[in-house]
Amino acid sequence: MVKSSSRKTSSLCTVLDPRGQPTATVQPHPLAPRLESIEGKTLYLIDVGFGGGWEFLEEANSWFARNFPNVKTVLQHKKGIMFVDEPEMWEEIKENGDAVIFGVGG
Amino acid sequence: MASARFAEYAAMDARNHGMKLRFSFPPYPLVGRPREVLRQYVEGNDPVSGKPLMPQVVDALTKPLTEEEKNPKAARGTPRPRLLQPDTEENLHRLFLENGWTDGAPIVLPTEERVAHMLSGTAADPDEVVGQMTITIHQEKLEYTVEKVAVNAVMAGAGPEHLPVILALAASQETSMPSSTTSFGRMAVVNGPIREEIGMNSGLGALSPFNHANTVIGRAWTLMTINLADSRLGETFMGSTGNNMNYNNMLIPENEERSVWEPFHVRKGFKKEESTVSFFQGWSAINSMGAAGCCRPAQEEMLILMQAFPCIHSALTLVMDPLVAKHLKEQGFSDPKQLTKYLSENFKMTAGQFWGSDVIYSLIEPNARNGIEPFASWLKLPEDAMIAPYTDPEKINMVVVGGETQALWFTTDMWYTQTVSIDKWRPKSGVYQEDEQTLRRRQARQKRHAAALKTSGYD
Repeated sequence: MVKSSSRKTSSLCTVLDPRGQPTATVQPHPLAPRLESIEGKTLYLIDVGFGGGWEFLEEANSWFARNFPNVKTVLQHKKGIMFVDEPEMWEEIKENGDAVIFGVGG
Repeated sequence: MASARFAEYAAMDARNHGMKLRFSFPPYPLVGRPREVLRQYVEGNDPVSGKPLMPQVVDALTKPLTEEEKNPKAARGTPRPRLLQPDTEENLHRLFLENGWTDGAPIVLPTEERVAHMLSGTAADPDEVVGQMTITIHQEKLEYTVEKVAVNAVMAGAGPEHLPVILALAASQETSMPSSTTSFGRMAVVNGPIREEIGMNSGLGALSPFNHANTVIGRAWTLMTINLADSRLGETFMGSTGNNMNYNNMLIPENEERSVWEPFHVRKGFKKEESTVSFFQGWSAINSMGAAGCCRPAQEEMLILMQAFPCIHSALTLVMDPLVAKHLKEQGFSDPKQLTKYLSENFKMTAGQFWGSDVIYSLIEPNARNGIEPFASWLKLPEDAMIAPYTDPEKINMVVVGGETQALWFTTDMWYTQTVSIDKWRPKSGVYQEDEQTLRRRQARQKRHAAALKTSGYD
């Protein structure tokens, strides 16, 4: 009968790392400057398109109406699908708004 | 904002894009929850921070930036040495398993000798960069060389003869498990002479685990996805149920010899004598569960089975036994293009069924809102109006595989992505030759199957 310990290999073995190499291409981006206050400002609420996100943002929109009546909100869908950047959307927000709430991921 | 189930994932995403974003997290899930529950989420706390959700959002917009937010440091991976620390085989097996570098099944340890032997299966330089991959757009890509591919091929139990196909899989820079909560599955179809040269099975039980080449090549794609595309469960891979296809990725050679149609790669513009691998992506496959032509023609049965799918961008791939292709030819479809046209024109569903799918809501409805036709018009239709959503017959594909014991097929929701050449990865002297005994046994098996088909009387 073979003892279980005899199955162990005591000699050392050298193997290759199976993982790919990091490409280190990420560039740092600072956050945009913050507002002193949202009073009197225009906030965009952008729905990225995951199921339930629009309805949730509608409720968030109502929360702003109840709690910050002086804040103007613009609730809208992201035009394209959630995985594609839209420079024209960011331009519109920069031109017409003061801040953006972007969601809801997942 | 992101739902709380994705708090860590969202943080990773921001880090990998060089930002320290201010996230707020409502509870998960949002989809399908009643209005009053969503209202409670808005009025309630962020379950991650424990703070009131909406005041936290206002803080995120107004609280002055910290130094780290003004000058973030990008997360950069550390270059990995070629060799791991020497250890016993037992400890190394445990290391690979515990680090998540395997699919959970035992692997062959990639020693220098084994990797060198594997590299005899290609003419390519071991240091040649094959490509870059990631399973998600939310993290940086990893780069890999021919040697890294060979390492994963060894781990999968492959031999040098399989390496050209495995290198072609890697050169596609497509992963076998793109990270989506919807849990994708993949299929890869090999065409051309290499199928026979390395003993792949395109006949009886080709999709089942009986053939060495089919098994280890499919598995190698998964191991490459884990190690070369950084697939880590719960960190980068978020498929909710996962997908059983991910073990082998429906890796099959097409049964060109028994098909009544041109080989798949020839229909995609390659020469018959070229060896290629073609890629498909989707979620699911439905077995026809019976013989084509028993009670109604296969093309009519296909229209019924297609009702199960969301019909996204006309994606449909039929994987059929040679008997089904013969049956369809007898029905008048002498060219697959005639069948794709028939299916595209005759498949109908209600607008309500189409728009009621979550994946259609997420990926197609934005097109409708942007005025893109025919989606914009379909969105205006009443729910019971009929539409023909497979608008592009070119995107419907047929692949022939199987051993002709049953005229069955799989209806899949897969879309075709690309076909890549295998030949550039072959050794100059031809594909690596296995030992004589293996070749003799394979030839005897092929002869037996050919004889069985010849005596079946259906030709």
